[in-house]
Amino acid sequence: MTDKIPVTVLTGYLGAGKTTLLNRILTEDHGKRYAVIVNEFGEIGIDNDLVVGADEDVFEMNNGCVCCTVRGDLIRVVAGLMKRQRPGKPAFDAIIVETTGLADPGPVAQTFFVDEDVKAKTQLDSVTALVDAKHVMARLDDSKEAREQVAFADRIILNKTDLVTEAGLVEVERRLRKLNPLAPITRAERANVPLDQVLGLGGFDLGRILDINPEFANPAHGEAGHVHDEHCGHDHHEHDHGHDHAHDHDHAHGARGHAHEDDIKGISLSLDRPMDGTKFTAWLDRLLGEQGQNILRAKGIIDVAGEDRRLVFQAVHMILEGDLQREWGVKERRWSRAVFIGRELDEAALKAGFEACAA
Amino acid sequence: MRAEYDAQVTAIVFDAEGAIFALGDGSVRFEDGAFSAAHDGAILCAVTHPSGEGVVTGGDDGRLIWHRRDAAGVLATSARGQWIDAVDASAESGLIAFSAGKTLTVLDAKDAGFRRDFQHERTVSGVAFEPKGRRIAASTYGGAALWFARIAEQKPTVLKWAGSHTAVTFSPDGAFVVTAMQDAQLHGWRLKDQKNMRMGGYPSKVRAFSFLSNGQLLATSGAQGAVLWPFVGANGPMGREATEIGFDEGSLVALVASQPKHGLLAAGLSDGRVWLADPAGQGLNFLKADKGSPITALAMSADARRVAWADEDGNAGVATL
Repeated sequence: MTDKIPVTVLTGYLGAGKTTLLNRILTEDHGKRYAVIVNEFGEIGIDNDLVVGADEDVFEMNNGCVCCTVRGDLIRVVAGLMKRQRPGKPAFDAIIVETTGLADPGPVAQTFFVDEDVKAKTQLDSVTALVDAKHVMARLDDSKEAREQVAFADRIILNKTDLVTEAGLVEVERRLRKLNPLAPITRAERANVPLDQVLGLGGFDLGRILDINPEFANPAHGEAGHVHDEHCGHDHHEHDHGHDHAHDHDHAHGARGHAHEDDIKGISLSLDRPMDGTKFTAWLDRLLGEQGQNILRAKGIIDVAGEDRRLVFQAVHMILEGDLQREWGVKERRWSRAVFIGRELDEAALKAGFEACAA
Repeated sequence: MRAEYDAQVTAIVFDAEGAIFALGDGSVRFEDGAFSAAHDGAILCAVTHPSGEGVVTGGDDGRLIWHRRDAAGVLATSARGQWIDAVDASAESGLIAFSAGKTLTVLDAKDAGFRRDFQHERTVSGVAFEPKGRRIAASTYGGAALWFARIAEQKPTVLKWAGSHTAVTFSPDGAFVVTAMQDAQLHGWRLKDQKNMRMGGYPSKVRAFSFLSNGQLLATSGAQGAVLWPFVGANGPMGREATEIGFDEGSLVALVASQPKHGLLAAGLSDGRVWLADPAGQGLNFLKADKGSPITALAMSADARRVAWADEDGNAGVATL
């Protein structure tokens, strides 16, 4: 058996810099073989020997679950690409799927969990959203798709930062963080992002949900609980990294800050007491069953009473994956954290439900 | 015959002289060692040429190529180089049909100037001629479209059923059309009244189906054994139960192959084994008993005397029965 081929999905509207980023990935001297799946009517000028057009053929699986919408074109194209597989070797080192600005990332991601053939050969690595610093605010105002792409992402690349002032960037980042507290934001000019911030992120890999811990639910600059990391371009201060974020926001960023209450937001939950594993699993199942349509992404690390290992989960709409991962360290702070990103989520109800799972 | 190829075999056909292997590196290997490398990319589908000589292959380079042991030539190309996903041919009518994207194209093997292009609303996943080769079924999302092969301007007969249909076939008497579906089931229509037949209960997607025993049985993959649906009388499988042969809990039947006029069934398994059985008799005859990577291609010759297979790692074989 050969390893599964990692798949990276690039989202972003026209002009955000996807083609530039793709060409950077493809032309960097890495000796890797990539297949690129693009929208058949999308931008041209991609420098790779295998570029395949896909036609955004979204459909619901017949079992009637609305959340099990998949992309039929991806099933077909991935199956075709696998025919290039050679004995003992994967067909490609990676597959990159470029979507249009109007694409819903949900069905793209779900295809990699739902279709048995696709699942057998490939593994969704991450969804990266590219946004244009200059135009993203207007796009987020007028486009549901733009908000969903940001909310869905494992990483956000804030491109064309040279065209916007520092204050403007802070403002943009604050809004992006509210939409998606899970995804680290990488600033870039002309899509100059190190490849390791786009490929091999393991965004859906339960075993690596620990790795993103420092970024986890990191509020934007100027907000309570913000952790100054290498991405924010500030001196490192000693902060009290309390997890009581999302309350006492600093609203001194001008009128826009108040005006933008997006329909999608990320809700961070935490609990310092151990949880009842059975209660928590039942609560999560019910939550995804009832509100999975509105929940774009969820991730969490749970401290289960009587269990030495961390319970780690991630979800895309109703598709849930959870497992017991490594043991808690001796000196490690044992606490439960979860983030739900979605539409019309009732923060108070989620918090109450989460905390009611305490052992 | 046993061979090891350095690429995946994506399809096998038999012509009058022997087995022909179509590979993921775009090459075609004849059983006698002849070689044709005409595609720039992977071969996605293949069928025996209507003349009975050589193979017609469709590739991800958008070309449809006829390979013979001493020659190869391009029969057609798709618009904008779109992948050619499915192909079928009819020895009866001498026609070849292939799909690329939403277009179904019909060619005449004896008339290079003949070409018909039929458009669909969704991508075509499979094509199949009816036994006389005058009509074609194309499977798509939402059902299947039936076209008269030679008529330029026409509206197809649309067989509707919600869901994504991934392959299509006609029963040998031309009375039924059967599709495989994305969600692990078959769907069928009786053409005279478009009555629907649901054929479900599979643990896995059905990748292959094939009629045998004078069309009285439809064999399919997608379960731990080969599934057999009875097609006897005017009602076909309606109201009847399927049977399963060669059940093995530890593997799945990945592919099946048979010939409509003969009673033998070949099955290729997910664990690399290949067996032959007579559904009317008892037991399995293992043509390849050693386990390996999954079987990715399987074919039976028209006289049902030979079976060819290949696995994901390029190991291929032909057995004479």
